Order: sequence, then structure tokens, then C-alpha cells
Amino acid sequence: MEKYDVAIIGGGSAGLAALKQLSTLGKQAVLLEAGKKVGVKNISGGILYSKKPNKGRVYNVEDIYGQNFVNEAPLQRKITKYLLHATSKDKVFSMDLTAAHEYQSNFGYSVLMNDLNAWFAQSADESAQKCGGGIVPGVHVNNISWDDEKERTIIQTDELDEFQVKAVIAADGVNSEVAQITRARPKFSAVQLYQGVKAIVKLPEDIINETFAIGADDGEAHLFAGDITLNHLGGGFLYTNRDTLSVGAVYHFDSLLDSPIEPNTLLDALLKNPMITELIKDEVPVRGKIDKTLEKEKQMQIRFAVTKLIKTWYEIRDVYLSSSRRKELIKTGKFNSEDEIKSKLSETREKMSSQYGIQFKTDYVEDEYGAKLIPDGKRCRMKKPYHKNVLFVGDAAGRGVFVGPRIEGLNVGIDDGVRAANAIARALEKNNFSQGYLGEYYTKSIEESPYTKDMKEIDKEYLKIFIDATKDVPKDILSAKHSLVLKLMSSGAIRSMAAKFVNVLGYERLLPVIESEESYVKVPTELAERSGKTISSSYTPSIPLLADRIAKLNYNDDKVSHIKVLNPNNDFMKKLVMLCPTKCYSEENGQVTIQHEGCIECGTCSEQTDWKHPRGEKGINYRYG
Amino acid sequence: MEPLNLAVIVKLEPDFSEGNVSYKPDGTLNRNETKSTLGPHSGIAAKAAFYAKVKYGAKISVCSMGPPWADIALQQAQQTCDADVLHLYSDRIFAGADTLATAETLKTGIEKMQGKMDIVFSGHRASDGETGQTGPQTAWKLGFTFIGNVISYDVNLEKRTVVAKCLLTLNGVPNVIEEIEAPLPVFLTIDPSYKSNFTTVSQRIAFEKYQKEAYERARNFKQSLKVFNIDELGVDKTLVGLAGSPTIVYQVERIPKGKATRQAEVFDGSNSEHIRKVVAKMREALSAMVIK
Ligand SMILES: Cc1cc2nc3c(=O)[nH]c(=O)nc-3n(C[C@H](O)[C@H](O)[C@H](O)COP(=O)(O)OP(=O)(O)OC[C@H]3O[C@@H](n4cnc5c(N)ncnc54)[C@H](O)[C@@H]3O)c2cc1C
Ligand code: SF4
Repeated sequence: MEKYDVAIIGGGSAGLAALKQLSTLGKQAVLLEAGKKVGVKNISGGILYSKKPNKGRVYNVEDIYGQNFVNEAPLQRKITKYLLHATSKDKVFSMDLTAAHEYQSNFGYSVLMNDLNAWFAQSADESAQKCGGGIVPGVHVNNISWDDEKERTIIQTDELDEFQVKAVIAADGVNSEVAQITRARPKFSAVQLYQGVKAIVKLPEDIINETFAIGADDGEAHLFAGDITLNHLGGGFLYTNRDTLSVGAVYHFDSLLDSPIEPNTLLDALLKNPMITELIKDEVPVRGKIDKTLEKEKQMQIRFAVTKLIKTWYEIRDVYLSSSRRKELIKTGKFNSEDEIKSKLSETREKMSSQYGIQFKTDYVEDEYGAKLIPDGKRCRMKKPYHKNVLFVGDAAGRGVFVGPRIEGLNVGIDDGVRAANAIARALEKNNFSQGYLGEYYTKSIEESPYTKDMKEIDKEYLKIFIDATKDVPKDILSAKHSLVLKLMSSGAIRSMAAKFVNVLGYERLLPVIESEESYVKVPTELAERSGKTISSSYTPSIPLLADRIAKLNYNDDKVSHIKVLNPNNDFMKKLVMLCPTKCYSEENGQVTIQHEGCIECGTCSEQTDWKHPRGEKGINYRYG
Repeated sequence: MEPLNLAVIVKLEPDFSEGNVSYKPDGTLNRNETKSTLGPHSGIAAKAAFYAKVKYGAKISVCSMGPPWADIALQQAQQTCDADVLHLYSDRIFAGADTLATAETLKTGIEKMQGKMDIVFSGHRASDGETGQTGPQTAWKLGFTFIGNVISYDVNLEKRTVVAKCLLTLNGVPNVIEEIEAPLPVFLTIDPSYKSNFTTVSQRIAFEKYQKEAYERARNFKQSLKVFNIDELGVDKTLVGLAGSPTIVYQVERIPKGKATRQAEVFDGSNSEHIRKVVAKMREALSAMVIK
């Protein structure tokens, strides 16, 4: 049997950080990732933060991947403006939360996980190979067993011969199978989770710069609450990437269970909001009608030609409307000048309309649909994030800071990854993997992380910034409970006392007040109603049907289902008919059945099913994530 | 133990994949318009060689006889197998070669390669009308043990033997898998159903490593490429090209082009009645195939 020092299960941002750190410390580790390539399974909002807390330290991306990280990594745009919008029909009331976004942070960049994790992987793999380890994609871990007598920990997978390790890092995400195998924690329950659903909207770089009135490297984040929630607890986001936008909705899962609604409907509510409609606006070609009296073969030829032409047009246009790509292609000699690209573009466009009757209209283009559960660190972080010699990190450990507009999972998982790696490196040196020496040491390190503090209690400084940002909100909109909290917090003198008092009450009692229908729906709706600006949209976006969204996704189908329904007639399962983002469940005669082929592995159904990730290389492959 | 020394012979072929192939009005292949690529069977041979690279850290040389632009076939093969060396035998005199004359060129090239060759790989056949003789004839000229239809193999480095599984298909008899052990050097032609199977973590790590290296090398493939004309290769002029070909292509049959008979009907995926119809149609079509 082969032997390695450390196995890392899962190649998301948390697992990769652990691999990079272990390798930097000269320790041998192998990382096993179920996806065909690292990055294809990961999905985020997402803004990647680097933080500088006042007290204590966190491990940031640049600490692990080098100080040149910002220049080398495939980051999208630096978020320089952070806004919260309250919506009611065509009215929007906006608040500037840039100060909250910049609070204790070095930077925040919009990112797309497929590219970013692939980049992390390349860097981590290079370092790992030098220590006799590396990354193995396309491998699904299905069991860990311990032979205590021989002091062996054995990793079993669907694809490879079993092998032996000294310690394990479980970085297998929110639907962690390792957590189930080890029984280190129960499955997360609905109150501990959010469901996130997201669309990637294609928009050329220059148009983004123009629409948002920003420079080529700057970016914006927009959050939404109010009537776009359709009365559910949660909200929406829109982040600018280089030449795409990430538009998504994040909802408390228990609120969705209370009154089930299709996730894509929540996403559509955002896309239909006039403010967003205007932000995603582009020019889109529309095929002309094909003369049905023509020979079938001729019709087919025209259809192919049109498809090819539209593709070419998009390709040239994407280049033309991107300053960096324009320059690059001129430099590499693909084009001689900007004028050449421009004339090629208009030539193609002319051909499209004159030869094939293609017209152009105002609309938007969606490129990818996705969804994933998000663990709410306040409610589900593992208090003891280990079992024997297995340490849990990132989403698998239920860690993330989600408070109001603060959305941080990536940076938290990366910090965890480094801490786990440090703990294991220390254990390797003493060859001591006992719970006391390894598990407890890691727990202590995690407890010291400023992020853990943010999961346990309210940060009064952050709260102050937030309250300052909302100073224009008429106070009479708030209920008695809310105004009391607000009043206490707004006064500098009593704020710190009040925060202390509130923290004594604990998050558990406070959260129902903060994360309530009042905060997500009522107050913002009324605020927009009363003080919002009217925005009218210049067109009606053609939002794709769910079937079309699914058809655009890329899967490696597996004949065997990775999910088994346990109770076909229980209530939870019946609600999944609505709540599964790709409609894998259907009900007939009171019995729920699954068709796993369209599954995007979000985990929404995992609590009450026998849920595994698909075998290596199988299942969904996101292009953006 | 000596590291394994491997060679792969590959061929530039017309790209028969959709959208790349072009026919003349009479139905014959329009070679000028059709793109060229590494032949699919050659690709499989390169994949088989890569297995030994991953598993035993073998050194791989890839060679081809063809026009100067056949270097793209070598580049593609390098991307598949992380070849260390690429050889292209290119000269006007080689034109018009039949399989025997081609075998002579390739044999001479392989013998010129550095070190004693342990295994030579070739595809099962070419996809543009070749009869699968180049491989066996090259083996014969090299004097290597020939093993055909290989679907998997392993090398015993100590005994210096190869153990290969070969697929035997005979009309009317179920397929037979034959296992053959032979001392090196050997010549293997690789069956289209060949699969590399990596079962350990270390193999998979090596696989990833060499694959990355292959990608990098293929990007700069000219650095590994050496082109030989007839004099540089030093092959006997009477044994290669048209002069060295005892057989000649006498006539090329037209590729019969079927008249399009497809009549599309539109079905609505959300309508269960329509779905039922589709299933019925598929069943009908399938049963027809079986009877034929
Ligand atoms: C819609 C949405 C918006 C978000 N917005 C933000 C944001 O703006 N900022 C932010 O910081 N965070 C955000 N988050 C949270 C953040 O994306 C996650 O916290 C983070 O991606 C988790 O990383 P991870 O490495 O812990 O897990 P994952 O990225 O889920 O990685 C787990 C990996 O393990 C693999 N795996 C699982 N099981 C196995 C197995 N048995 N064998 C082998 N491999 C396995 C999976 O294939 C996967 O690649 C958002 C999340 C969502 C869904
Ligand atoms: S089947 Fe379950 S895991 Fe898959 S997409 Fe639906 S809810 Fe998500």
C-alpha cells in the first residue's frame, strides 16, 4: 500500500490553501478532488477578501501565494464601491456601504471560482510536487478507516487503490461526506444554511465600464433587499467581473422551506428589477425566420451558417470591446490595428443582417446557471472541528462570516486551511497525531482566529459603520424592536455598552431580530416605496426558461445516481420538487422520485437523502463558478 | 535498471471530424480543403506510450514520414505522450510510398534514434485508406517481436519482458483476449479500444505532472523537433518513395454519399405525450437495426 504524510480531501479554495501551506512548510501532501479538473465544482458569489483585523491575525491569500498575488492571479475587478439597494417595484433606495466593505480589509476582488481555483491549484501543485505530493483530480473519496493497532489511516476512493496517511484535512465543502463518515458532526439543518443561486451574465468589458461608469480595473458590488425577495428571508447581489456579471440570490434555507419557491424564480425576480435590467443590458442578435418553402437541406445550411456567423460576431465583438484583449491580439499579430477589428466587426454585422436577416435588439445574455448551499458560520461552525487525525476546514467545518452585507466564506476557509496545515506540520515533526496534540491544537488555533470571533458575536465597530451608512433611513419605518436596537447603537456613548449587552444575549437571541422579515422585506420595501428613485427599464429582458438554463450546463453523466431518496413521501422531499434548483424531483401519487441527471450538486436535498458527491469526473462542470 | 526507451510512429491524416472534411463534387476527398491532423489511431498509440512514461518514466521519441507540415501531427502526439524527441522524415523522394517503402523509412529513422529501442508503438491502421500493414512491416524490418491488437500492457523491468493483452475478434466467435509475454524489444500495434489504467496515487501524480510537461513541450514543440531529408536520414533511395514501392494505388473508389432522408419532426420536451412518441420512435428504430 502506498504511503503519504497527509491527504487533503477536496480542492476548493480551502483545501488548496492547506496544500500550498503544507508544501511551503516542506511537508508531503496529496490533494484529492472529485471534479475532472480543479475548479469545475466550485461556485461562489463572489468577492475574495484580504483582511487586516485590529486584533489577532488572519492568513490571507497573499500570505500563502505570495505578495504578487494581486498581479498574478486571475482576479476579475477590484471592488471599489459597495452599495445596498432597497427595492419596491420600480423604485430603488440606495445606500453606500463602501465603508463597511473596506472595514479592516486590504482588498476585495470579484472572482470566478473555476479560474481562480485552477490558478491556486497550479501554484499549490508545483510546490507539492517538490515535496513528493501533488493534486489528483477526478478522484472521489468514499471512506476513511483506521487501523488503530497498526496506527494506520487508510483512504479509500472510487477510482484508486487505497493508500495510507498520517493525517487528513477534510476540505470537502458544505455537503461534506467526511463529516458523515467520521460522524464528526451531524448534517447541517435548514436553519443553519442558506441556499445560493446564481447566473453569469455576459457583458463586454467596455460596456461594463460604461454602464457602471467605472475604470477598466474597478468594480462594483450591489446588494438588494425588499420586494425582490418575494417575501423570503434573504436578498440579491450583483458583482461586476471583467467581462461578465455575477447576479445571484442568497436565502435562508428554512425560510424557503416555510414557503417553498423555485430558486430560479427568486433569481428571475432580481433580473426583472428595472435597476438590474438596465445594468445587464446589451445588444443581442436575433435570428431571422427561415423560409420554410426552401428545401430541408437548404434550411439546415442556413441555420448552421447563422449559428457560425453569430459566434464569429460575438468573438470579434468581445475582443473589440475589451481594451486588454484588443491590445493583446494586436500585439500577437492576430490583427493589425483597432480599425481592422472594427471593420471586421461591422463587416460581419452587415453580412448578418443583409444575408440572413439577423436583427439586433436590446436584451441580456446569460451564460451559466448554478446553485449551492452556504453554511451560516454563526449557526453551524463546528466547535470541535476534528475527529481523530482528521481536521475540518472551510465550508466542511461550517465556517463563514455572514452578517448583513458581510459575506465571507472564501477568506475564512483559506485561513482555516493554513491553520490546519500548520497544526499538521507540527504533528508531523513530533510524529504525534493524537487528539490532544493535533486536534486540540488546531481547535485552539481556529478559536483564536478573528473570524471565529465574528461568528460568535457582533463587532460593534462594523455595526457602527453600518448604522452610519443607513443614517438616511426614516426611523419611523422601523418597528419598536428595531428602533430600540438602532437607537442604542447610534449613540457613541452607549454603543459599546449596548453591543456588550447584545453579545451577552448572544447571537442566538439576536439573530431572529436582525434576520427577520422586517429587515429583509418590510423595511426595505417601505423605504423604497417612500424615498426611492423611480427607475424605468427600456426593455423587457428575455429571461431563459429553467430548461434552457440546464441545457447550457456541461455534465459528465453518470449512470448511477449519487443520491438516493430515503423517504419518498415525507414533507421535506415534497418541498424539494419546488426547491431543487434544477427540478430533479417530481411527485406522482404522493411519492417523490429523483432524476439525478440534471443535478448540480448544490446539496439542497442532502439533509434527508443518502447524499454523496458523484464519482470522480462525473456530474456538473461549471465554466465560471 | 535501464530506463525504457520507446518510439511511436504516427501519421498526418485528413481530419474526418465534423466540419473539417471537404468532398469534391464527384464524392472523392478534397485533400486541399480538408484539414489535416494527427490520425486518431496514431493518437491512441501515443496514449499507450504515455502509459509507460507515467508508470516507468520511459523516454519517448515520436516519428513520422510526411510533408513538412506533418510537424503538427508530431506536436499533437507530443501533447498526448510528453515525447522527449520528435523526428520528421520529409523529402520529395518519399512521396508516393506504399506501406513497405514507408516501413523502410521509419525503420531507418528508429535505428538512428539514440539508444537501444525497447518498444515501438503504432496505431492499428490509418483512417485514410491504409491497410494496417505499416506497423507489422516496420516490426519485421526492425526484427522486433510483433504483437497486434494490444488493449493493455505492462513491462517487467527486471525480466525485461512485456506482458500484453490482445483482443482477437473472429467472425461468429465471441471475442477472445489473449495474453502474451515477450522479451524486449517488441513492436506493439494498439487496438482502438486501448485504455490506460492508473490505479495508484503515485501514478496519478506522475500522470498530472507529465501531462503538464507535455502541454508545455508541445507549445514549444520545435525545440524537440528534428527534420531529416533523405540524405540526412541516410536511407537507401531504391527502397523508399515510389521507387521502393512494390504496390501502387490503382483506383480510388468514390465515397458513396447518401441522399439526406432525414425528416425532422418537432417534439416538445415538456409534453409527456410527445415524449412517449419519441420513445416509441426510438424503439422502432432500434428494433429495425437489430433485424437488419
Ligand atoms: C452564491 C454564493 C455566493 C457566495 N459569495 C461569497 C462571497 O462573495 N465571498 C466569500 O468569501 N464567500 C462567498 N461564498 C461562500 C464561498 O463560496 C464558500 O465558502 C467557499 O467556496 C467554500 O470553499 P471550500 O473550499 O470550503 O469548499 P468547496 O469550494 O465547496 O470545495 C469542496 C471541494 O471538495 C470536493 N469534494 C467534495 N467531496 C469530495 C470527496 N468525497 N472526494 C473528493 N473531493 C470531494 C468538491 O468537488 C469541491 O471541489 C458564496 C457562496 C455561494 C454559494
Ligand atoms: S438533486 Fe439535490 S443536490 Fe442535486 S441539484 Fe437538486 S437539490 Fe441540488
